[in-house]
Amino acid sequence: MMELPLGILWFGAVIVAMLDGTRHRNAVLSIVILASALVSTLVLGADVYRNGTQEMVVGGWEQGVGISLRIDTLGIIFAALSLAVLLAALVFETANGIKARIFPALVLFMGLGLTGVFFTGDAFNFYVFFEIAMISAYVLASYGETPRQFRSAFIFIVVNLLGSMLFLISIAALYHTTGRLDLVGIKAQVPLVAESPVVLISAVVFVAFGLKLGLFPFHFWLPAVYTGTRASVAAILSGALANIGSYGLIRFGADLLPRELEFGAPVLLVLGATSILYGGVQSISRHSANEVLAYSSIGQVGYIMVALAIGGDAGVFAAILYTVINGWNKALLFLAVSMRGWLVGTAFVIGAFSVAGVPPAAGFLGKVVMFRAAIEDASWSIVALVLLGGGLSFLYMFQLYRRRFWIAGEEEEESAHLPQVIVVGMAVGLLAIGLWPQPLLELTDQAVLGIMGTDTAP
Amino acid sequence: MILALSLGVAVLFGAGSYLMLKHDLIRLIIGMVLISNATNLFIMSAGLTTGAAPIYPLGGETSDPLVQAMTLTAIVISFAVTALVLSLAWRVYVSHLSVDIRELSRAEELQADRDDEVGQPDSDELGAPYKDSEGVRRTVDQPPGKEAQR
Repeated sequence: MMELPLGILWFGAVIVAMLDGTRHRNAVLSIVILASALVSTLVLGADVYRNGTQEMVVGGWEQGVGISLRIDTLGIIFAALSLAVLLAALVFETANGIKARIFPALVLFMGLGLTGVFFTGDAFNFYVFFEIAMISAYVLASYGETPRQFRSAFIFIVVNLLGSMLFLISIAALYHTTGRLDLVGIKAQVPLVAESPVVLISAVVFVAFGLKLGLFPFHFWLPAVYTGTRASVAAILSGALANIGSYGLIRFGADLLPRELEFGAPVLLVLGATSILYGGVQSISRHSANEVLAYSSIGQVGYIMVALAIGGDAGVFAAILYTVINGWNKALLFLAVSMRGWLVGTAFVIGAFSVAGVPPAAGFLGKVVMFRAAIEDASWSIVALVLLGGGLSFLYMFQLYRRRFWIAGEEEEESAHLPQVIVVGMAVGLLAIGLWPQPLLELTDQAVLGIMGTDTAP
Repeated sequence: MILALSLGVAVLFGAGSYLMLKHDLIRLIIGMVLISNATNLFIMSAGLTTGAAPIYPLGGETSDPLVQAMTLTAIVISFAVTALVLSLAWRVYVSHLSVDIRELSRAEELQADRDDEVGQPDSDELGAPYKDSEGVRRTVDQPPGKEAQR
């Protein structure tokens, strides 16, 4: 049961890779595979929610020999979010006509890599699954095959490969200092070893995931890639792939290395605040829609950093919730901004409200938990920062909406129906979360409990 | 031994970083290969034991086999990525007739100016004509060099 989502995606991706993805029939097949993986993840999630964290070793090997899976609520939340974004982007691209035969297979491989990252219980397998997702992203970034996309894909590969190497180095170093590779074992061993090497390792881990996430000093690759690629790929990169960065920081920071996270909190706070302001100001000064959204992504991950820097249960809670809402927002906006028509315009407004944190969209919830974390921490400068960031995002989102859907709307014809329906569906999802947040809040609460509450003995 | 390995890792990583700052895409890729090899060496050194047999004979002192397995996996992954990057570099060369980064960033600036005029990147520029380094209008469907092959 536990390996079912991975199994479906793995075999499905291999089969679809051999078929011609530009044919409608094969694209529909890949949509069915991805949807069934999402459903099995949700079923698994219900089980994990009721019975708690589950562990197993794939293929019936002994503990410590085979590929071990360890599925907790945090992993389920991230896996469900990423698969849902991938599904939306795949359906969107299918409705618009897939232009490369490998596209559906790549989306499935990326789903496999992401699900694996979120489900694995072993640091090295984390790296392997992470590379599966990254390699699919490298190829996806050049999807469309224009000179510009090759350029941006090249930047993307070079920067992220460097990040992967840094991550691999930090895993090897963790193995050397703690003698363990399983995440539970590392968590148990870290408090027992000397502090100074682990602080260095944490810094390398932070840089590696900061690169993936596009945090302020490591953001330079992000605008070029997000503006160069097609809408569906930009949605995948920002809504699904970027989750690796925030998941990695939450898992390795808050879960495995909490002492080092607290030690580095001032750095995170400064970088997060700079990210928020830099992203906001740059977005306002940009004209092209994708560029505005790309810089907005840089600003939004700043909130996640600030939440992690605040720390404690409230901080981690805010970080998880903000990541989920931000991923969904960005996927919706990147898809919506590439289309025309009043329905899409409405969906875009909901997404834009959500980014700015205006009720009743889900982004309001994200801002509220940020405020709660900041107030519990009694740090009024963070409250001011969140307010200022929200103001900036409202400004650039409104500018973008005016430019995209008011002024230029007359000359171009309305987009096809099915893509519009997808975008509207995503917007309705945002509203639903905003109006009835209880399930998501409870899930996040359980995820926080899984990370912070229990000190698992070795 | 520890000193020798750390020096090896440091020199490889340093040389790789130096090459990554070059203007030439091929040098940049060689830099990436060097860095990934530095990483492999680092993983090996994480389980360093001198004088012990790799795995066999059992019973005596053996060195840690896990780091070797990890290095092997990392080598395979970096091999695949290198192949991918090289193929991408070839496509960049085909569409720009250059592997010089300055040339590419000039093209990027031209593109940015065009975006600013339109207000939106033309995301459907598949097959849209562009000018190569000699100012000849070309399309992606007919990159230079393809004519000879056809």
